Amino acid sequence: MPELSYRDKDTVIHALSPLVKLAWGGGLVVLSLIFNHPVYILILFLSIIPLVWLAGVGREWASTLKFTLWLGLSIIVINALFSYHGDHVLLTAPFRLPAVGQPVITLEAIAFGAVMALKLAVIISVFTLINLTVHPDDIMAVLLKMRLPYKSVLVTSLSTRFVPCFVEDIGRISDGYRTRGVQLDAGGWFKKLKNRAKMTLALLSNSLDRAVQVAEAMEARAFGSGQKRVFYKEINISKIDAMTLGVGLLPLAAGITVRVMGYGDYQYYPELASIGGGTIEWVMAAAMILLLVFIVPLAFIKRRVELD
Amino acid sequence: MIRLRELSFSYNGAEKPALNNINLTIEDGQFVLVSGASGGGKSTLCRCFNGLVPHFYGGTISGQAEVQGMDILTTPPKELATKVGMVFQDPENQLVTSDVEREIAFGLENLGYPKNLIARRIEEALDTAGIAQLRFARNNELSGGEKQKVAIASVLALHPEILVLDEPTSELDPQSAEEVLRLLERLNDELGLTVILIEQRLDRVVHLVDRLLVMGGGEIIADGTPREVMNGDSEGLGIGLPPVIRLMRQLEGKDLALNGLPLTVKDARLQLQKALKNVKPTEFADAGANLKPVLNAEKLWFSYGERAVLRNINLDIGRGGFIGIMGRNASGKTTLVKQFNGLLKPTRGKVRLEGVDTRKSTAADLSRRVGYVFQNPNDHLFADSVEDEIAFSLRNRGAEENEITKAVEGMLNEFELTRYRKSYPRNLSGGEKQRVALASVLVAEPEVIVLDEPTRGMDYVLKKKLINYLDDYRRRGNTVIMVSHDVETIAECAERVVLLSEGRVVVEGSKREVLAKALLFSPQINRLAQALSGYGVADTTLTLSEMLEQIG
Repeated sequence: MPELSYRDKDTVIHALSPLVKLAWGGGLVVLSLIFNHPVYILILFLSIIPLVWLAGVGREWASTLKFTLWLGLSIIVINALFSYHGDHVLLTAPFRLPAVGQPVITLEAIAFGAVMALKLAVIISVFTLINLTVHPDDIMAVLLKMRLPYKSVLVTSLSTRFVPCFVEDIGRISDGYRTRGVQLDAGGWFKKLKNRAKMTLALLSNSLDRAVQVAEAMEARAFGSGQKRVFYKEINISKIDAMTLGVGLLPLAAGITVRVMGYGDYQYYPELASIGGGTIEWVMAAAMILLLVFIVPLAFIKRRVELD
Repeated sequence: MIRLRELSFSYNGAEKPALNNINLTIEDGQFVLVSGASGGGKSTLCRCFNGLVPHFYGGTISGQAEVQGMDILTTPPKELATKVGMVFQDPENQLVTSDVEREIAFGLENLGYPKNLIARRIEEALDTAGIAQLRFARNNELSGGEKQKVAIASVLALHPEILVLDEPTSELDPQSAEEVLRLLERLNDELGLTVILIEQRLDRVVHLVDRLLVMGGGEIIADGTPREVMNGDSEGLGIGLPPVIRLMRQLEGKDLALNGLPLTVKDARLQLQKALKNVKPTEFADAGANLKPVLNAEKLWFSYGERAVLRNINLDIGRGGFIGIMGRNASGKTTLVKQFNGLLKPTRGKVRLEGVDTRKSTAADLSRRVGYVFQNPNDHLFADSVEDEIAFSLRNRGAEENEITKAVEGMLNEFELTRYRKSYPRNLSGGEKQRVALASVLVAEPEVIVLDEPTRGMDYVLKKKLINYLDDYRRRGNTVIMVSHDVETIAECAERVVLLSEGRVVVEGSKREVLAKALLFSPQINRLAQALSGYGVADTTLTLSEMLEQIG
């Protein structure tokens, strides 16, 4: 998995308010969960591409896609191997399993797995784009703007910041074991688990030491001084931001409406339904495309307004 | 002004007080160096100045403590933040936000200052610390030295009157350490800031400070100007006198007209230039060449992802040799030595242990022959007691119990750990943990031992013992490989030195070839010898004993 930390770049997507990007990205994640129709899921996925391209993070996104591809393939394979629903049997196992019966691989199970994998690709792509284009402290500022308690937000932010340190700790402590002759990866799964479990105490101890040091450094810089805290870099919502925020939320609102109206669903079992719905279904899908990518021209307008 | 009267402090559950009846006054504008043996109370004393002791740590305190007119015993650290700024040892664990500007703003935001004042203070702090170019940089992309400067800037923004620093350079390479110390000198000289600095390496700072405090056993055991303290009986103080000072003290009583202790190489040079006579020209022989290779790297490349960290390394390490590996931070030193015990495997090329490719063995298998001591002792410690920790490797390889007991006893004695044998290793002090880590690896008597920055933050007495032990270990036919920024230690004990830069071997040769006549990676004595070469002193002189051989 590639490193997905924020990349500071001068692009229209980076210049968008973090609140807008979070609203747009959050909307996409929700929609990918509530829609089942493969065309809608594909639209959601394709709508991310122009933003990735404009943000100049194509290479990083492609790396996560490679990772997602393997994950997606395993979802398809597992679903095909363990879900025996569906009328179109492609392969039948020459044996029977207790309680399950004769395993079969069906076209429907493969199709269902593929769409689930595509949903996963949408969610991972959104997280990739947000991580690469929103400064972590801006995420914190957005949460504060939403009036979440500062201390909780700070703890969350610090925990995120120290995740790489924790991962490094795991690597160093594993190395410590190896250099003392412990074959961490030898033996069966139980032995491996037992070997790894030994590291827990050392990891916990390192994390506690780090927590004490950070707390000490914060205390020495007047944390909790009793004064009303000021936020030097607050997220300010300009008129154009408010407009783009509205546009960012539109796909979510429209998508929920479409689903409530009964569109965007799809039948996988016992046999795949026809992809083509009625005219209204296609009009709805086209409207979704427009709403999803409308954020792009607005991002350019925002940049132009700011430059003026 | 700081005024402590009969101040004593004990941590909860501790048998002995960490501070015992301290009486101390520090006037405004002084530059004070605090040194002394590990566990002597230096950090505890300095944490009193901003109220972390007792308010953050708890414990029992008695006596009087006043800083800038505020009573420490009743004033919490957050209220002292604008009086006393504190910078800690670990650059990573004191940065709270994710970029430089926000980091500097953090304390000011906590104090509720108006935004325009915060903006002004950020500008001032960036300029004062000389890091304006890093304003929008992300903290995780900074070097260790830059992180320490950001930490200093973030406390300077609060306009403290006193700046306290707990070994801020111990994790930095010599260049970065020099930059941080220059900044402190400037803050003291130009802004009149009181600077209190904990530091083990006196040679780096002693010429900058007005006063030297030595702590031991929770008490101030020496206090005065650096010359006063170092002129006295310094043997029991647990501080390592800089090599030029040890040289001049050795020359006292000889027939040389010397005038007081020099604090810098320049002082020593000026004195010796006038006084030198009868220099015995000496040629120093190199050792460690032509040894049969035990480890060999051939066309070694190593990359993390697309980033090449080692580039085409060709290196032979002779059996029974003592090799120092030096270079700036991130020059590839640790990555190189991790190839020797199989923790990392070459991306291209080969590393061979006695002719056998390390790719054919696991790190666990290679650990029987190549021991490895990490920078951070915590990475070694996972047993429930010190004796179990030391016995671990032997037990893991199925040694007989009586053999284990004998070996463990030997190590407990060697590293003065007998009284901690039942203690939980992670509860020990930094120096004690370091000793346990060393003992836990050396007990298995590996034929090659790799030590990554073993003297970092180590006090003088302990360092001296370690050097003696390693020298003896090498004489028994084993090979010692030491990664270190500590030029003085490498000059003292290594035979050959490898200097790395940007993942390449820049120079490899005898310690004299690499360290003598160098600008930065040369010990104090050599810098002095270079200046005195016109008087007949060999410019390849590296150690005190070699210098004394010629002019003593």
